[in-house]
Amino acid sequence: MTRTPYPPSPDQAAALAAHRFGLGEPSLQGVGGDASGWLLAQIGPAEPQRGQDLAQGVEAVRRYAAFVQLQRASAASAQAMAPGDAAMRPEQAPGIEPLRQAVQADVRARLVTAALSTQPFNERLALFWANHFTVSLAKGSTRGVVGAYEREAIRPHIAGSFDQLLQAAVTHAGMLRYLDNDQSAGPRSAVVQRQARRNRDAGERPPRITGLNENLAREVLELHTLGVAGGGTAYGGWGGYTQADVTEFARVLTGWRVPLAAAMFSAADGSAKDSASRFDPAWHDPGPKTVLGRRYEAGPEALPALLSDLARHPSTARFLSVKLARHFVADTPPPALVARLEGAYLQSGGQLPALYRALLDSPEAWLPQPAKLKTPEEFVISSVRLLGLGAQAFERAPDGGITTLGQRVQGAPSPAGWPDMAEEWLGPDAVWKRVEWATRVADRVGRRVDARDLARASLGPLLGDDTARQIERAADGPQAVALLLLAPEFQRR
Amino acid sequence: MTTRRHLLRAALAAGTLAPWATLSLGADAPAGNGKRFVFVILRGGMDGLSAAPVTGDPAFAEARGALGQFSVPPLPLQGPFALHPLLPQLHAMYGRGEAAVLHAVGLPYRERSHFDAQQVLESGGTRPHELTTGWLGRALAGAAGGAPLRAVALETAVPLVLRGPTAVDTWAPSVLPEPTADLVARLSTLYRNDPALAQALARARGLREDPEMSGLAGMASGAGGMTGGGGGRGQAVALARKAAEFLQKGAQVAVLDLGGWDSHANQAAPQGAMSNNLRTLDATLAALREGLTAPEAGGAWARTVVLVATEFGREVAMNGTQGTDHGSGGVAFVLGGAVRGGRVLADWPGLARHERHEGRDLRVTTDLRAALRPLLADHLGVSRVALDKSVLPGSASIRPLDLLV
Repeated sequence: MTRTPYPPSPDQAAALAAHRFGLGEPSLQGVGGDASGWLLAQIGPAEPQRGQDLAQGVEAVRRYAAFVQLQRASAASAQAMAPGDAAMRPEQAPGIEPLRQAVQADVRARLVTAALSTQPFNERLALFWANHFTVSLAKGSTRGVVGAYEREAIRPHIAGSFDQLLQAAVTHAGMLRYLDNDQSAGPRSAVVQRQARRNRDAGERPPRITGLNENLAREVLELHTLGVAGGGTAYGGWGGYTQADVTEFARVLTGWRVPLAAAMFSAADGSAKDSASRFDPAWHDPGPKTVLGRRYEAGPEALPALLSDLARHPSTARFLSVKLARHFVADTPPPALVARLEGAYLQSGGQLPALYRALLDSPEAWLPQPAKLKTPEEFVISSVRLLGLGAQAFERAPDGGITTLGQRVQGAPSPAGWPDMAEEWLGPDAVWKRVEWATRVADRVGRRVDARDLARASLGPLLGDDTARQIERAADGPQAVALLLLAPEFQRR
Repeated sequence: MTTRRHLLRAALAAGTLAPWATLSLGADAPAGNGKRFVFVILRGGMDGLSAAPVTGDPAFAEARGALGQFSVPPLPLQGPFALHPLLPQLHAMYGRGEAAVLHAVGLPYRERSHFDAQQVLESGGTRPHELTTGWLGRALAGAAGGAPLRAVALETAVPLVLRGPTAVDTWAPSVLPEPTADLVARLSTLYRNDPALAQALARARGLREDPEMSGLAGMASGAGGMTGGGGGRGQAVALARKAAEFLQKGAQVAVLDLGGWDSHANQAAPQGAMSNNLRTLDATLAALREGLTAPEAGGAWARTVVLVATEFGREVAMNGTQGTDHGSGGVAFVLGGAVRGGRVLADWPGLARHERHEGRDLRVTTDLRAALRPLLADHLGVSRVALDKSVLPGSASIRPLDLLV
């Protein structure tokens, strides 16, 4: 293996900045001679998404509540008419249309913003954190809220402290819904005791809400902060929590809810302005809690204090560093790189810009060979940017066809989000679908785009001789464009 | 190992063969004498005590609370066991002696993380990330007969369970037009220096150029309304039918993926996620059976084993939101014409609090590999040596279950 020269030439750096750290550029002129500077200057809160009628969390919650009410009403009348197991398909449900349109608007806004962004590195960071703190459409109760969640909890907080981002993500209505904290009640909370008393008096069935749900607590520890206990051994290990910590953390989280009644959306204890979530003491488990050896008194202050402690934890530094390095640099990032990122995170007190700067300062991040395979979403966005298709690409199909490539936009199958390793995306059919997609797009634009010029202007020194030759010898314009989109230099970054 | 196998392996690795064309040969019959194996992965941790309630256990009702109550009676199995009322077709298979239920079964892993548990479930290791390929992927080359088994996953990417030294196929329905052969040929040249992309492309190309596969209905055409998001009963059933077609046309192994089993809240809601997942599972298994008992399948069902497994079961007691949190022991199903069914195999640990793992989960009394070993060895013909050394290392001392006819 040849030692690669560092620092890269200005041309190489520009190409890597555009494609590895950005979302791809049709021309490297915009990057200029100071690639690092171009990237660093972009760091900040993510730009507002482009789109119309994009709901706030509060509206989104209201809209979903209206939909649920309609469903219940129609299910009740349907049962009255035809008892039996009539499982209604979600697409047929009454009141689904406004919800479906909201979801489409969210998906479109996410993709159009990425396709048109003049701060593509910053946009990559926003998408990275949205995936790290996944809230997914795959769960019914988050329908229509995911976009608002990304806009309110993630995007504004990508350039401050990780603590701030963590607080915003965990307490947002989207996350509380997605991981079931909405219905989690302290076993000795007022709400549970009231319910139990009522049932005892009435001699009725057990109460609907009886106590704790551990889902959010577990996933915040495992997926968002410390990393799974026993994991990360190649980097020195992370984790450090036990089952008892999960349960205690769940107790701390009780009370953080998404009340449906419109009246509750005004500022109240523990609620942020314009927030659909709030802290309800009646659901909170009384008494102190001990998580990772620290004691937290009951009340709304416990959660922010605990999250701050988690943000400062050395396991968090390590876990986040591996994830960031894996996303930008390599499926198995070099331990030296990870260690450097860890150090930068801890020394800065958990400031994200320090983490990003450490990444951009690392030689390992600038190796010329594109190693990372683009996910379907990255492939489509970068293709749209390369070909200058603009917002139109998402006009008819809001997801631009990304779902057919195996990735449902804003719809990851689990709270772990989409994986960031090539082997999770590779497969004969996966590649074949990319070929089909590229063919379809290339057929549409192939006659007005000169793929040879475009390849040179966009990839610069990253363009290999084989690819240049194939494009040169293509049978026609569309075929040349397809070859460019499917070339290893464009499939990877 | 024969020279022929060396050549085939090398050629497959280089991606220069249309794999089907060379492997479908009369003399070298596909491995396993026509045996078929389907692995259905249930992702999210299916609640075994709901899928197969133990209604005859006196501690069941109190332990499970509201989750132990059914508006329609569960379907009886042997002893204290039953099946969820939403699994009637599976129950019918049980009645015909084609399905067995494994209970209190699980992995050698107790930390309750989906990610890590699925890694163990698919890799066949004893610890997460100990092995980076899949037990089924490693088994493909070790099966009886000359050539490696042909496997297909009904999704776009290759799931971990099928990753290994043997190339496999993936398939998902498409709504886009086919690319030209010319483009694909040029692309193959372009991928000369990218082995991963090259192999994937070669494989996909081979699948479509295989003369046996040309009759496979709906290969290029859209199968209607597929969102790729892994949801929808229609999609799951369609993929099961497609799997059956592949298994008729020369694949010996298929992998199906059903997600959404992580039932933390409102688990018993009649139109909720869990209920719908059970309906989908029942329909999927029925569709598989239907496809493999069809006249054109040539009696394939009689030589088929389907294994349905999940990464962990769930807590015995209901949680605070009418659902269950992550647990340990759970349920697996083994069905097919080659299965000695009509039985429940379980070393029942009991449901009282002191009988649960850490006082909360159903204890694992049977390692899932006790099912994997006999299926791989006796059904697919994987040698004992290969099993112990590479396919399921560390499992040699596990007593195999008696699952086959």
